[in-house]
Amino acid sequence: MTTTTTTRPGLAPRLTALSKVVELGPGRLDNKLLNEANALLKRAGARLKLSSEHTVVALAGGTGSGKSSLFNAISGLDLSPTGVRRPTTARTHACVWGLEGAGPLLDWLQIQERHRFSRASALDKGDGQLHGLILLDLPDHDSIRALTDTEADRLIGLADLVVWVLDPQKYADASTHRRYVTELAGHDAVTVFALNQADRLTTEELAELVIDLNDLLRREGVEHPSVVPTSAATGRGIESLKSVIATAVARRRAAIQKLEADLHRLEQKLSKAMPMGEALSVPSTVDEARRMGLTDALCDAVGVPAVGEAMENVYAERSSRWVGWPYPRWIDKLRPDPLKSLRLDDVGQEIRGIATTSVSAQSAEVANAVQAMADGLSMGMQPVWRAAVHQAARSRAKQLPQALTEDLAEVAPALDRVPGWWRALKVWQYFLVVAFVAGLAWLAVGLLMPGALPSSLALLGDTATLPWVGLMMVSVLGLGALSGIASRNFVELGASRERERLEREMRRRVAAVAATMVVEPVERELGRHHAFYTALRDLSV
Amino acid sequence: MNTAMDDGRQESPGEQTLSFPPVTDDDLTGAPQTAGGAPRPPHDPADPAPRHPPEPDPDRPEARAPRPEPGLAGAGSREAGPASPSLFDSRAPFEEPPARRPSLFEKPAVLRRPPEAGRPEPGHRPPPGFDEPERPSERPSLFVRPAALGGPDARTAPRAEAAAEPEPQNPPLSSDSSATARPTRPSTTPDTPEAASTGTPATPEEPDAEASPGPAHSAVSEPEAATEPESEGAPESEGAPEAEGASEADSAPEAEGAPEPASAPVSEPASVAVPEPVTEPAPGDVAEPGAAAESEAVAEAAEVRAEADTTAEIAADEADLDAEVRTDAGAETDAGSDTDTGTETDAGSDTETDSDTDAGTDTETDSDTDAEAETAAEQAGTEVEKPGAEPGTEAEAEVGPGERLEELPAEAAEALMEAIGTLREAVADLSFGLDLPGSEEARQARADLLAQLENYVLPRVRTRTAPALIVIAGSTGAGKSTLVNSLAEKNVSRTGVRRPTTGTPVLVCHPDDHEWFAKGDLLSGLERLDRPAPAPATSGTGGLVITATEKLPQGVALLDTPDIDSVVEEHHEVAHRMLDAADLWIFVTTAARYADAPAWNLLRLAKERGARLAIVLSRVQQKSADVVLKHFVRMLTEYGLGDIDRFVVHESKVADGRLPDDEMTDLRMWLAELSVDEKRRAQAVRETLNGVLNSFRTRVPALARHLEAHVAFRAELRGDVEAAFLSALSEIDKASKNGSLLHGEVLARWQDFAGSGDLVRSLQLRKRGRAARQAPERVLAFKAAIRTGLESVIVAAATRACEEVVARWRHRAELGAKLGADLDRPSDNLVRHTGRAIASWQEHLGELVRTEGVAKRSVSKLVSFDPESLALIFMVAMFSGGNGEGVPHRLVNALLGAESLRGIGAKAFSDLRARIGMLFDEEAMRYVQVLDAAGIPDESVATRLYQATYNLEVVR
Repeated sequence: MTTTTTTRPGLAPRLTALSKVVELGPGRLDNKLLNEANALLKRAGARLKLSSEHTVVALAGGTGSGKSSLFNAISGLDLSPTGVRRPTTARTHACVWGLEGAGPLLDWLQIQERHRFSRASALDKGDGQLHGLILLDLPDHDSIRALTDTEADRLIGLADLVVWVLDPQKYADASTHRRYVTELAGHDAVTVFALNQADRLTTEELAELVIDLNDLLRREGVEHPSVVPTSAATGRGIESLKSVIATAVARRRAAIQKLEADLHRLEQKLSKAMPMGEALSVPSTVDEARRMGLTDALCDAVGVPAVGEAMENVYAERSSRWVGWPYPRWIDKLRPDPLKSLRLDDVGQEIRGIATTSVSAQSAEVANAVQAMADGLSMGMQPVWRAAVHQAARSRAKQLPQALTEDLAEVAPALDRVPGWWRALKVWQYFLVVAFVAGLAWLAVGLLMPGALPSSLALLGDTATLPWVGLMMVSVLGLGALSGIASRNFVELGASRERERLEREMRRRVAAVAATMVVEPVERELGRHHAFYTALRDLSV
Repeated sequence: MNTAMDDGRQESPGEQTLSFPPVTDDDLTGAPQTAGGAPRPPHDPADPAPRHPPEPDPDRPEARAPRPEPGLAGAGSREAGPASPSLFDSRAPFEEPPARRPSLFEKPAVLRRPPEAGRPEPGHRPPPGFDEPERPSERPSLFVRPAALGGPDARTAPRAEAAAEPEPQNPPLSSDSSATARPTRPSTTPDTPEAASTGTPATPEEPDAEASPGPAHSAVSEPEAATEPESEGAPESEGAPEAEGASEADSAPEAEGAPEPASAPVSEPASVAVPEPVTEPAPGDVAEPGAAAESEAVAEAAEVRAEADTTAEIAADEADLDAEVRTDAGAETDAGSDTDTGTETDAGSDTETDSDTDAGTDTETDSDTDAEAETAAEQAGTEVEKPGAEPGTEAEAEVGPGERLEELPAEAAEALMEAIGTLREAVADLSFGLDLPGSEEARQARADLLAQLENYVLPRVRTRTAPALIVIAGSTGAGKSTLVNSLAEKNVSRTGVRRPTTGTPVLVCHPDDHEWFAKGDLLSGLERLDRPAPAPATSGTGGLVITATEKLPQGVALLDTPDIDSVVEEHHEVAHRMLDAADLWIFVTTAARYADAPAWNLLRLAKERGARLAIVLSRVQQKSADVVLKHFVRMLTEYGLGDIDRFVVHESKVADGRLPDDEMTDLRMWLAELSVDEKRRAQAVRETLNGVLNSFRTRVPALARHLEAHVAFRAELRGDVEAAFLSALSEIDKASKNGSLLHGEVLARWQDFAGSGDLVRSLQLRKRGRAARQAPERVLAFKAAIRTGLESVIVAAATRACEEVVARWRHRAELGAKLGADLDRPSDNLVRHTGRAIASWQEHLGELVRTEGVAKRSVSKLVSFDPESLALIFMVAMFSGGNGEGVPHRLVNALLGAESLRGIGAKAFSDLRARIGMLFDEEAMRYVQVLDAAGIPDESVATRLYQATYNLEVVR
């Protein structure tokens, strides 16, 4: 009665939550627990569908405690055979008060037809108060026969109300207490203890025993044990037991209470196996900072900054061959080439060819990046869930490097590219070179053979122009050098601007790939985690 | 093979059918052992035959041959039997002793079988949990291992000898090769030899005494018989006994249609393995005369023995069948039949030949026959003793079954004590660090074993004549305390309606015995109290109340124990401790409880331990007494406990915690008898002790096996760690060779390095002599990139390895998951250590290039190079793998020359691998530490256990 409905939401939402748990549980929850949850779910579904007019009351206990005698005493008929040989009852017997609608319930309980009895008339012997009762006489659970027969076990689980039939000899047996009573703590509302064979004791002894039993039960977590001394032999106490049962039957709540108590127990087990802890505070999505972190790490794995730098350097180096002032280059070429002296001329060519376009992701670094993100995200999770998050993060790790490589290759700079203005500048430089050479020629002609020229070219021989020519030649030289320097600067400027653009673009693409291949599955798992714990919380509220 | 049989015998008390499969297992396991011994050949025929179907064929003819001959020879005259022993005499007697011991082990199994098998009818199998499945596994281990450890030598040697002996005899009869012929002959032969053996040799041997406590006698004697007849010839005693035995034996064989009875004597020795059969038959023969006198005692002995013998082996089955068949002929014949079966089984001959009879019918007769056989054996033993004394140096040890206890020579007792002491130490050293499935049980078993050794076995062995301790155990509310009070006629133990009532064990004895219990070593672990502690429910574990009363007869003490099944679980433990120290058990149950599972578990335990047992069924209503009793008895019979002493106490008014006197009469009588009949008491004590010692044969190895499971589990876990890191290492190896390292940043940096002209610039013509340090920052960046690349590969591999380890552990057991809880990630230091390791590797490589990369002379004249850059190029060449066609390859090749390139390459690689290996070792250490911290003892402890058990057996 402690678990009243007022403080708890109805059974239905909790069962819904439980079904959610069962749905999300596989692979995360211990299989045994999951099966238990599943079984409870099924049982609840089945029981709630069946007659709510009936209350299933099971008489359980050790062999020889007098279950069958009590059964007969309550039903007032000699329905279940009793005897002195142990164990006596091997099959469950059932007696129904008010038969209509009980059939399916009995089927569900798997009571054999020939062991079903009914007290048809509600008015029969003044048993009207028991209308709606299905009384079960279970086999024992502690004899050597029970080792191979779980019938009692099964029905104790199914019954709405369990009456434990104890006797002075066996009331403290471990087989009853350790296996059932302790396990069923919290089921106060749906558990009754009948201390049978009370006639074997004196009044004082009985009183002492009842106190002892109460203490024992309380020690085991039964907060409000209801103990009824009975004697099937003398009929003493049968009426009070009947009235206890009748109360439960009349309220028609035993089935629900039983399910609630079971649910409560299961929920406790669940929360022990899956402690709530900080679970619900774990975000169910991947926040921006983590995405950024992942993108950064992946960029490093691809070598985005290095690619940019390489582009800058390589452009600068290569551009000098195009836009640089040719003379210093030519002078440089006069120097002996070490490669040539090693007879590795072709290698020199190849070295220049090394720097082409290529971006690729290093898979180990990619793996580490993903790992790091999963680590960060799964902090504070249960190990199972943590493993699941890792699993999800890695789900496409195999293709990730390849995907990154392919995606980035589209934007990767061609390091051996030659922009048009490089060519134009080259023409310009060579024009200057030509101009310089022409100037030289002019000078030579003007100085060496001023008179030998035809009149049309007299101007060339005019010595007065020569200083100007000289000046022009100096200017051309200066212009060439200047334009070489300037254009190199332009190249570098352009390269660095290109690099910025490139890095932005690459980052964008990396982020996009990461989002589909890593973040998405991870978020799915996070969502599942969140939903699971939400359901667990709903279950326990 | 013999060994295997032993195991079997101990373990499965009950069922033959069940035991069947196990037998095969044993055979298999046993076979290898036998194969090991060089001397085997002769012996093989006997042993291997049963186990290895293939082998037997070739061997058999020989094996059989020997027997037949003896038979023939024997046929000539009964006395011939004795004569044959003389043949043996020719051999050196000295050699035999070693041989006997091993045989000791092996034989008992066979012998005992038959009786047991007979009892439980096929259909009846005790329903409650007999652990048949376990047996198969258990058997092999015991014997096998000790052998492996070093025990083997002893065994193999003995066997070899034994084998050798039989052969000589064999030669004469090579003719009998047919299987059918064999069965009969062996049987006949055994008889005579048995007689011989029993007469002289049987008793003398120490091994027997030890090996077979109560029941074992016969078994013991048998082995000896086999060996001795041969060696000593036991000529004197044999003559008479044999004659008798022979006559009887003859009748049996005849019944079957076996003409060879006479030949038997000779044949026995021939079948080396057979020793058991031999002995048995012999006892039977001899016994007959004396049997009548001691029939009672014998019957008891037989029971005990039946219980003790657990092994349900094929041999046993066959034996039973045979026995049954013969039973028809006569009790004596049965004895003979037993021997026959034994011989057959040993020889490895096929079972079918004998097995025509039904299993069901003969059970009773079997037991009877056994009993007789035993008695016979005992008598024979005693009778023979005198004669035996002369021949066997060992003979004294054997002593007659009855007197054995008292007569155990000091050295033997000391040796036994020592062996037990070693066993105790070995057990005490045991610890199970892991929570593997079954560990809790193993821990419990260890504690039980230790307690029993200290509380019971050691004191018992030290002084065997002490008063017998009768422990009264049973369910709560069964009336144990009431029973004790009634017997003591004094309220020594509290009774009441509260359950559980008794929390502290209460010992009641005669005042004369008080001192022994108060001061003695028995139950020395318990503090002696004057009266029960005030709160029995909680303080039950530590004390023992001892009270004295004149009403109890002298020499017996009653111990009232807590219950075995109440909600207070400490009581169960106390009760079991008490039972472990008991000489006799009185099991109390009630009419309401007699079908309770815990009760039957206890009965099973008693049966397993071979403890002497009496059952009290109390609280029986007068009116239903017949029904209940009948049912209960039937259950007991089905369980194989049908002939145990039973007492019924009717439900009656309990006055002042006691039952009316008339209910107690039977029990009192029983106690008084026990008190007066010292011999019987001693026998009971001895049987229980032997039962306990026998139980060590399975219990200790079971512990050892569990320990080994731990060790194996640890080895598996370690194997997982190693495998994971090994595969990580090979992964790195692969990555460093297939060019996958040259991706990402490394690739970009390399292009940067090459494309920006730094690469070329790093090479300079010597003449220019210009320092090539133009772009250190680019070189450094490249170097750093390579380092990071390598690092990430290593870290990734380590991470994977860690996860792999934990996943494997989890997969193995729940415990594995627990152990690996925080280890699914590489240690925090890994990254740092890796960085350092790679950096120093790079240094090392640069150093290598500098010192060893002495460029080709032709090159060095022309070009100088920057070693730093060259090392980088080298790394690229190294990691790019391939066939040496790439630019870096050709560059370094041109600069350094192929030779030094290879040298440096190899060194660099192995250095890198070594460094990574060290890193991984460090990582792996974490797992190993976890495992070590779990406190798993090493294998030697298990070895010691086996050794100790083996030694104990040997000493016995």
